Amino acid sequence: MYQVISDGGCDFTKEEAKKHNIEVVPFYITFEEEHLREGIDITREDYFKRLLADKGMFPKTAQPSPQDYIDVMKPHLEAGKDLIVLTISSKLSGSYNSATLAAGMLSEDFPNRAIKIIDTLSGSVGQGLILREILRMQSANYNLQKTVSYAEKILKTTRVYFTLDTVEYLKRGGRIGPTTALVGGILGLRPILQLEEGQISQLDSVRGKKNALKMIREGIVAALQDEKQNINLSIGHVLSEDDAVNFKSSTEESLGMEISTPITEVGAAIGTHAGPGALAFAYCKKFETIGDAA
Amino acid sequence: MDTWFIIAQLLGLITIGFEFTSYQIKDKTKYFLVTGIGSFFWMAMFVAIGISTGMDTQFSLIVAAVYSTIRNLVFFGIFKKNTAQSKELGLNFLLVMIVIAIVAGTATVLNAPEQVRWLHIIGLVVALGFVIGQYLPGVHYVRIAVVFYAVVVLLTQTPINILYGDFRWNIMGILIEAAKIISVVVFYIRYSTQPKTPQLVFAKP
Repeated sequence: MYQVISDGGCDFTKEEAKKHNIEVVPFYITFEEEHLREGIDITREDYFKRLLADKGMFPKTAQPSPQDYIDVMKPHLEAGKDLIVLTISSKLSGSYNSATLAAGMLSEDFPNRAIKIIDTLSGSVGQGLILREILRMQSANYNLQKTVSYAEKILKTTRVYFTLDTVEYLKRGGRIGPTTALVGGILGLRPILQLEEGQISQLDSVRGKKNALKMIREGIVAALQDEKQNINLSIGHVLSEDDAVNFKSSTEESLGMEISTPITEVGAAIGTHAGPGALAFAYCKKFETIGDAA
Repeated sequence: MDTWFIIAQLLGLITIGFEFTSYQIKDKTKYFLVTGIGSFFWMAMFVAIGISTGMDTQFSLIVAAVYSTIRNLVFFGIFKKNTAQSKELGLNFLLVMIVIAIVAGTATVLNAPEQVRWLHIIGLVVALGFVIGQYLPGVHYVRIAVVFYAVVVLLTQTPINILYGDFRWNIMGILIEAAKIISVVVFYIRYSTQPKTPQLVFAKP
């Protein structure tokens, strides 16, 4: 028997976490003097509305501390459960380090319990998909070892992409320079970002929103047409639910498959860099199609 | 016909080869490398003509070709590196190139006889459009821009000379610009017959 824990990078809602019986260790958001726990002290929607309202602001996100992990892990260990802990990419956040430190400290008190920390090298909708596969394996009564082994293979098949509404937030976060932001803004360029080997990089840029979404759909169809039975796909957004709903239905139509994963509200860890108006999508292989992972 | 003039013609033929090839290439990095090498031979052609017929007549063309060569090869380096820093540097470089083109183009317009000034103004606008089009994402902008650019250059090979009372035709110059237009036409014929591939390529799961 094992308990699944994830940091806030999975972008699950409170309701989803409760429904699937998982624990979410939230990230911190710092607005100048204010330190808030994402999803607890401030909703994602309110957070992004504040980001939208204050043009000069670039809030900082911080990983959960080792103590935050200990507070969540310890009761389950005391209840005799092993743990699988999923973290956002260690190249984007120190969350993996915090979880590893916490596990190290707890293993002294609970030497007979297994604590497996998985660095997803992903985030947001990508991390959410990996988490959903782990939950499906848990429902299928896979033991901890087998689940971890499959999860490590699944994360290698996970791809995450974002299309941004504006380059403004990349500029605020120092990811692009002022000239690139200025010219990108004038030309109406929409950068397409990817999470590659755990890091955010720019795949391409496309002029115009309609054009960008059309090209993304064509790219998705080309990448997934032959594998659509073997994959799960997830769509997320930052304050642009209508766009996400439309994008989901048009992608379902283009691909000829239903996207069963609920539309995700992208959280602060990645959403701060993408900014309001961003759309995200991710896909990964289903655990049943991975082959023998043991 | 002296040796340098023959060398110039050979360099012109090599330029045609590179320019034609460059507009068949979809990948921006490879495009800039091939067109950059083409620009280098184009510059060498003007130098060879200058040695053959006198540098005075070729000087402005050599300057223009050096400008193209540097621009294309710097853009090649920037696209090859493909980092946020290199792109920022590339855009700053592009803005400098645009300013240089505007200053040089304005001087040409002001110095041109009144009856052909309109053609030089169009030339300036089209040249700027081409420089910007090269940098824009996608395969279409640069090809549309280069056709306009080549048409204007082709026009300036004849009417200006006629207006100036000089009926000599720059055959190699015409061939180089015609090669660009033909290459774009060939590209679109190939493009229309090829199975449509998406411009954005996402990794397989």
